[in-house]
Amino acid sequence: MPIYNTPLLAIDAKETRRYAGLQKAQDFSEDKILAACQDARLLAQPRSVWEIYDYDCEKQEIQSDPPCRIQGEKIGQHLAGCEKVILLAATVGDDIEEDVTQRFNAGEYSMAVLLDAAATAAVEQVADGLEKALAPKMAAQGFGMKWRFSPGYGDWPLEQQPELIRLSHAQSIGVGLSSSMMLVPRKSVTAIIGLYRKQENSEIKHSPNGCAACSQLNCPSRKK
Amino acid sequence: MSRIEIFDGAMGTMLQAGGLQPGACPELMNVENPEVVKNIHKAYIEAGATIIETNTFGASALKLAHYGLTDRMAELNKAAVTIAKAAAQGRAKVAGSMGPTGRFIEPLGDLSFDEAFQNFYDQAKALSEAGADFLIIETCIDLQEMRAALLAAKEASDIPVICQLSYSEDGRTVTGTDPQSAAILLDAMGADIIGVNCSLGPEELVPIVKTLAENCTCPISVLPNAGMPYLKDGQTVFPMGPEDFGKWGLKLLEAGASYLGGCCGTTPEHIRELAKALKDMPLPERRLPAKKLWLTSRSKAVCIDHSLPTRLIGERINPTGRKKLAAEIRDGSLLGVKKEAVNQVKAGAHLLDVNMGVGGIDQAAAMQKAVTEIAQLTDAPLAIDTSDAKALEAGLKAYPGRALINSVSYEPERIAEFLPLAKKYGAAILCLPITPDGVPKTAEERIDVMRKIIAAAKEQGLDDGDFLLDALVMTVSADKNACYEVLITLQMYRERFGYPTTMGLSNISFGLPNRPLINSTFFAMCLAAGLDAPIMNPYDESMQKALMASAALLGDDPNGLAYSKNEANLAVPKAAATAKVTELSPLEAIKQAVIDGEKDEIPALVENALKAGIEANTITEQALTAAMTDIGVDFGAGRMFLPQVLLSAETMRAAFNKLKELTPASTAPEQGTVVIATVKGDVHDLGKNITGALLANSGFKLIDLGKDVDSTEIVKAAIENNADIVGLCALMTTTMVQIDKVIADLKEAGCNAKVMVGGAAVTQDYADSAGADAYAADGVKAVELAKTLVKKN
Repeated sequence: MPIYNTPLLAIDAKETRRYAGLQKAQDFSEDKILAACQDARLLAQPRSVWEIYDYDCEKQEIQSDPPCRIQGEKIGQHLAGCEKVILLAATVGDDIEEDVTQRFNAGEYSMAVLLDAAATAAVEQVADGLEKALAPKMAAQGFGMKWRFSPGYGDWPLEQQPELIRLSHAQSIGVGLSSSMMLVPRKSVTAIIGLYRKQENSEIKHSPNGCAACSQLNCPSRKK
Repeated sequence: MSRIEIFDGAMGTMLQAGGLQPGACPELMNVENPEVVKNIHKAYIEAGATIIETNTFGASALKLAHYGLTDRMAELNKAAVTIAKAAAQGRAKVAGSMGPTGRFIEPLGDLSFDEAFQNFYDQAKALSEAGADFLIIETCIDLQEMRAALLAAKEASDIPVICQLSYSEDGRTVTGTDPQSAAILLDAMGADIIGVNCSLGPEELVPIVKTLAENCTCPISVLPNAGMPYLKDGQTVFPMGPEDFGKWGLKLLEAGASYLGGCCGTTPEHIRELAKALKDMPLPERRLPAKKLWLTSRSKAVCIDHSLPTRLIGERINPTGRKKLAAEIRDGSLLGVKKEAVNQVKAGAHLLDVNMGVGGIDQAAAMQKAVTEIAQLTDAPLAIDTSDAKALEAGLKAYPGRALINSVSYEPERIAEFLPLAKKYGAAILCLPITPDGVPKTAEERIDVMRKIIAAAKEQGLDDGDFLLDALVMTVSADKNACYEVLITLQMYRERFGYPTTMGLSNISFGLPNRPLINSTFFAMCLAAGLDAPIMNPYDESMQKALMASAALLGDDPNGLAYSKNEANLAVPKAAATAKVTELSPLEAIKQAVIDGEKDEIPALVENALKAGIEANTITEQALTAAMTDIGVDFGAGRMFLPQVLLSAETMRAAFNKLKELTPASTAPEQGTVVIATVKGDVHDLGKNITGALLANSGFKLIDLGKDVDSTEIVKAAIENNADIVGLCALMTTTMVQIDKVIADLKEAGCNAKVMVGGAAVTQDYADSAGADAYAADGVKAVELAKTLVKKN
């Protein structure tokens, strides 16, 4: 159950803009975005945890104890040809969330929304940081990493969240589930990363754009 | 460093060829199959290796725990050295290999520094006692792990220690450390050889070797992979052949390495070609860096030197005289400290002073926590500011960089306790010319004390490049020569020692009026006299201005370019902003301010409009409501976006507040009462909060029940408040069904309120089937629909 907490030396202002639905509002004050990124950085408690398992892609089954069958066609396709999988959980804790609520109560609506967006960007960065830390480890064993896939993407049902929590040891970083399968703290992610053997001159092409797999076509944060 | 040394190559693949089973512990071969290990060593020695590494890369207690072999740690390490020495027979030296634990050290991971230290200490002890000639700590990607291992190795034995990190393609370790910062820190901590291995091939390592060589005086080692691995016919293959590998050896030699060998994918053939290529090559002359004062964080190095622009040391992380910050620290909260860290860097601080001097708390624990958290948040190097040796050590141990110790005076306990800590952790020291008798008054006396501090420090092994000299500022209102002595002291420090200088400035003006004027004037004088790194408040505008102007005057800012740019920028925006608003009529100005979200300007505009005789109701209807209508249209058309709409809502709120304050009699027309909630089981309340904010600022009375709200509570609130509308939010398909329940419960309770629903997963179809009166796709739409719903009532 290895833990890795990536430092947040900066939160990506561009991603924060995107999550705040401001992709097209290029004139929106950069200072406000940067202020939100900074506040989020002060309040964030970045944590992540991961575990590696053998994977049977024929059966779509993680060889854990007990094993876990992954439901959903898209995720099955995504993990086709993978020998192993990494299950991970990442979070920035719940202080930001509390601050967002407080700001709404205080009438700082726009800052509240920007802070929420910065927290989303931050938790993605925490997961990115973990991937970056894992990549050379995996490469040394001859493995390439597919982009991370989370329950709720495509047709992978949220009902499998409890399995992801179990397999990633999410509880060790304080991430759990509400009765309706929502991650608590809210600014958390669980995900799976497929590991495939690198072949000479046949790097498996894969898109890092998670939005492509999502059915929310009108989402203001959708990447084009 | 008189000759080129050749290391061996990969061990793991050779062990597999010798019968190591997949999943078995490689180090167990040292006792179960020693001949295989010995033959590998021999093959490398015959190929030309002059240093061989023991088969102990994973033989630390923490690594052996994977195989349940922790209790055989000493045995496996000692056996490995014995085999290597037997294979070498004096033909090659033996380096005891120590690989990473596979876990990250706090705060990046969950392994404590002390546990990591103990782990490496035990292994280093076993290897050195068995007779290893070197210890080699290799393939580390976390600088904290390297620090723990190096401290452990130095404490466990006297043999030379080689420190090798692994860098990724971006030229940094996975955890962000650049080779320059690593070289400076490890050199200061007493590493004997500094280098790099694994991850990359020789080509990518040339620039890294160059940077290492330019930033430390130690010999440099490099053990590249034979390129990056890929799979061919079920086998992992490294692409670079022995001959190419040998050729790259020359480039690495030229870049500054004198210890060369191989890592993953290299074989005795690779080493043979490398040895062949380097045979009889003269060691190129390496230009060693001048001993300058460098400080580092995990990911950045900062130099303080006469030849460089002024470096600011931010003084704000200090609870002295600041009740709020002190109370926070006492309560164990570091939010204020973290804020000061980030804000000072933003304001231009290059280094941060950290002082946790609050009475009645555990100083060491507080310093450890503060240093850890700040180092995760900013890359500015830190100065550890304390008079408590325990707190100093706690801070130095926790810090993944080369810190500055603030401060070492010529007082016996500082000399006795602080200097050895500086040497051990590779810290630099801020020297303060104070003796047990007090502060020497004249420059000449200060020089005298300083000479003694430096001599004592050098006796402990510190060297040029480790010192920052404080000129010691006294109060000019108490001593008319205070300023003059500082200026002379600064000049004499430079002449006599040549080391960079510092001081806390603000003491000079104590007791005088308009202190900023005295401080900034004094600052400018000191900069001219040779001050390199003031400890100051970076938010102080007069000081920043003095610095800008001085930089232009003293030639640090050629032709005053930065100065001009800064002054020009200050002049522009305000004028433009006022020009825009004054052209509009009072009502138009209010409307435009709402649309532009000019929250700070709106109270004055409302006040002006009232003064001009415009009725409060007219302002509400023709300016505020009209603005919201326009905003709704722009939002719907994709010309305006949510954060902007919310900024307008904030501006509306400020306008309403001003109206209420100035015309308490004129009540804004109530559109109706809305009870709003995120349904049971759902913890997402951002959308609900946004909608609530917009409704509340469009004339609705809002009762917000929060998130995860039970149906009975919603029904109760709707009836008690005689709600016109109940707004329900559900984000997920799993919680959406709660909407049906609330609607049914409302009907059953006989409540006539209209129901409006929304949330990411909710659709018009779903709303219809659940029997809702309206579906709002977003907050702006919700306001529009709410207005229609109450009209129908």
